[in-house]
Amino acid sequence: MLLARIAILLVVAALPLALAGDYQLRFLAEILIIGTAVLSLDLLVGFGGLISLGHAVFFGSAAYAAAITSQKLGADIFVMLAVGIVTGMISAIVLGVVVMRTIALFFLILSLIVGQIFWEIVFNWRELTGGADGLRGLPPLELHTGFATIPLTSGVTLYIAAAALAALAYLVARSFVEAPIGRALLGTRERSLRMSALGYSIPRIRLMVLAASGGIAGAAGALYPFVNLYIGPNAIHWTMSATMIIMLVIGGVGSLYGAFIGSAIYLGIQTYVSSYTDRWQLVVGFVFVLTVMIMPKGIVAGIKAVLRRRSGARSVR
Amino acid sequence: MIEMRPLSRRRFISAAGAAALVGPVAAPSLVRAAGKPLRIGMVTSLSGPFTGLGESMRAGIQMLLAENGNAFAGRPVELIVEDDQAKPDEGVRKFRKLLGQDNVDIVSGVISSAVALAIRDVVTEAKALTFISAGSANDLARKAASPFVFRPTKTNWMLGHTAGLWAYEKLGKTGCLTIGADYAAGREYIGDFVATYQQQGGKVGKQLWAPLGTTDFGPLLTTIAAERPEFIYSFFAGSDAVRFLRQMRDYRLHGKVKLIGGGALFDQEDVVSAVKEAALGGLNTCNQSPTAPSSAAFTKAYQAARKVMPGEMGTAGYVTGQVIKAAVERVEGDLSNKDKVKEALLAKEVETVFGPMPFDPRNNQAILDIYVNEVKEGPDGVPVNQVIHTYKGVRDPGPAA
Amino acid sequence: MGFYAVQSLNALSFSMLLLLTGLGLSVVLNLMNFVNLTHGSFFLLGAYIGIYWLASGAPWWLAFPIAFAAAGLAGLLLERFPFRQFYARTHLMQVLLTYGLSVIFADLMRWGFGAQIISPEIPELLRGVVFILDMPFPVYRLFIIGFGAFLALALWLVIDRTIWGAVVRACVVDRGFVETLGLDTRRIFTAVLVVSAGLGGIAGALGAGILSAYPGLDEEVLILALIVVVVGGLGTFRGTVLSSLLLGFVMTFAKVWIPEFSNVVALILMAALLVALPEGLVAQKVRQV
Repeated sequence: MLLARIAILLVVAALPLALAGDYQLRFLAEILIIGTAVLSLDLLVGFGGLISLGHAVFFGSAAYAAAITSQKLGADIFVMLAVGIVTGMISAIVLGVVVMRTIALFFLILSLIVGQIFWEIVFNWRELTGGADGLRGLPPLELHTGFATIPLTSGVTLYIAAAALAALAYLVARSFVEAPIGRALLGTRERSLRMSALGYSIPRIRLMVLAASGGIAGAAGALYPFVNLYIGPNAIHWTMSATMIIMLVIGGVGSLYGAFIGSAIYLGIQTYVSSYTDRWQLVVGFVFVLTVMIMPKGIVAGIKAVLRRRSGARSVR
Repeated sequence: MIEMRPLSRRRFISAAGAAALVGPVAAPSLVRAAGKPLRIGMVTSLSGPFTGLGESMRAGIQMLLAENGNAFAGRPVELIVEDDQAKPDEGVRKFRKLLGQDNVDIVSGVISSAVALAIRDVVTEAKALTFISAGSANDLARKAASPFVFRPTKTNWMLGHTAGLWAYEKLGKTGCLTIGADYAAGREYIGDFVATYQQQGGKVGKQLWAPLGTTDFGPLLTTIAAERPEFIYSFFAGSDAVRFLRQMRDYRLHGKVKLIGGGALFDQEDVVSAVKEAALGGLNTCNQSPTAPSSAAFTKAYQAARKVMPGEMGTAGYVTGQVIKAAVERVEGDLSNKDKVKEALLAKEVETVFGPMPFDPRNNQAILDIYVNEVKEGPDGVPVNQVIHTYKGVRDPGPAA
Repeated sequence: MGFYAVQSLNALSFSMLLLLTGLGLSVVLNLMNFVNLTHGSFFLLGAYIGIYWLASGAPWWLAFPIAFAAAGLAGLLLERFPFRQFYARTHLMQVLLTYGLSVIFADLMRWGFGAQIISPEIPELLRGVVFILDMPFPVYRLFIIGFGAFLALALWLVIDRTIWGAVVRACVVDRGFVETLGLDTRRIFTAVLVVSAGLGGIAGALGAGILSAYPGLDEEVLILALIVVVVGGLGTFRGTVLSSLLLGFVMTFAKVWIPEFSNVVALILMAALLVALPEGLVAQKVRQV
């Protein structure tokens, strides 16, 4: 069964390569990369119950680190990923240490504040980050195999790289969730008092999930600047964090793969609906509110529930 | 000796096929291009902080198209307007969409300099004819100049520099205080002003910076009141400008201290219509003025349509249309040879609402008349930017700078 | 000497502005345990209404009660649907719902009121400056200081010193028990939400004199209000008042001494406070679902 599922997934993933043009493939690559960042947010929100408005920091700082490194050392994809993962993890641990003792609403606001401090640093440190104008003219992303250098600049190559990243990230996240640490994380979300009584160190568990989440977001962030050969302070602003939460909720909190669906829906509306009407934000708002009110587990889960009810089976909730 | 092979059927068919392919290409371009729609893409900000400006720009180019029956050089024009939400990432996406999916012949627009810098590589790689309507970062005329990007608008340097000249001549040789929004554009304007002013021999006092989006200028205005400068050079745009001017009036500094700024600080449509009397007496250097002689007809038409006098963005949209029209007409509608189009544009100046517009061949940057405006009470009591001086043919120092 | 006196007044007026923006949010959070992120939208609505009223030539002092009423009405409609269903839900769900609604309102207001920045006509009486040791200070800001203090005081009196305030506070702690006393808690919650929305509206009308009104102001104000209220600590107004004063003074004097870094300094201070006091300045036991 697993093999059949993988086969189907591979076919679905390969379809765009056959049907879509360069522009659409690039767009899909962006959806997958941002989706990966949202996936990492799902670890925090869906499994850890930690709603953070500072998630863009992991993503954005990794993007800047990768961009700045590429200016000095060229853009080898593995170097970029390494830089991104390390930066993501470090910024996550920094945030984790700062927010360690806060919960719920306080955590939300503190993550927002710390995120904005990072943004101010990036926005004002013009010599390093280009300030409001960002960094442009980045060297193209490259894959260095033993015998050849493959440039990853076209829609096709970027899409394949992004899809590979997304798949790997999903596998990592899935294994994290199913490992003992993931179970413990769920425990801290549901019954934190009991968990401490049992001897689990909640701050340590939180720190570990933050590190994992930051690493995945960092990997996504590392590839992001190379889709458009540009990175700007928007990637690290709290509104980016809010957007990621919107994507996650639309797609389905706690489902892991919902992250990609949410990313696709949001970016799809933003790019395509805005071509037809000035009121695209109204559309996003409505979709979001409807999802929250009717399908709090996200669109995919909502559709599944409807189908299950139709087929007569009892939905287990 | 040329070897003659007998004409086999296969060779005949392939020859005919080749001739069929070559034929249309070789045919006179007029025949091919006439009547084929011309697709123009414009990316501007229709949501986010620059929404008002974006709507004005769109209105400007739509006015130009309507006045020309929606056709340039016999080709009907299709205008596709996209929203970049003032975000560079979205701007890049929209440009790619216009080029990759909608197959436009020409792209234009862009208000934010950050977006302009971000898309520069995209359009250069795609070899697309691009006209930046308002993004005015200095770099686009210097380090980031591109053979495919034309800028029918100012550079920040042009405004900062001319203000420096005017200030030294007319406002005072000492006692200058600067205050500006702390981001790339603000730093460029004030930096260029100070450089020119000091070059002339002037002395600059305190230099204050306010973070972008500052809500309360009170403490800064109190500091200014204590410093008692002769005059102030300032750069703010949008809601920052509105708040700064109003709060200056609140603190009784308006009228006491001469204020000169970049064009955006006293933008006719965006700022002056919001602050009204608080703008009176303000000076600014700008490539646009509703009272410039070249703008007379346009100002009337714009006011009739939009009930407000045009500011820089509405005019920029219209001017972009004028420049594109001139380019298309000069090559008689045939845009297939990009180098020819560029040559045609560089050969002679274009008559626009900003004034006569020749392009600098080094960087495709427009050489513009910069107006010194003073905001005075107009005929119906509404404050208007009146031209009190014109610096003719200001040219950005360009790649050498 | 006059310089520092006026700067302190600047700080006080900014603190008052922060307090005004945070008041409504504080009311609904402390008294109903409901996180209402549409608060910024109420503020912006009040600002627009205030501006149009002042421009219309009608008696200026009515602008504020009208703004209160308009925002209150919007709050009433929203309370019926969909807020009511979310009182018992987690803070996260409330955050998500109200944030989504705020996105919808922001776009509706942009559609209705336009994208241009607009500013109010300050009434004659409130224009001009007073001179403190020959440094100018605007009369309008004195008005804001006065009005803000009056509102805050009135609110505190009602909540802490009257029976109605006690009833509302009891509802948060144990709704069921209050019901057994024969009181309709649904009506009480509705009233609290309407008051909170109205406070947002009147703050907007007042603040418009300094901030003007434009799309995007709602989000900026919301962030400020959230920071002020949360850092202040949930469950009391004292906290909100304290944090507005603190933030107001820090931001003002940062602008006097290190203007480019004023934002960063303020943010770092707020973060440091939350790290040191993870439950806010004035912590109190609040049941969080």
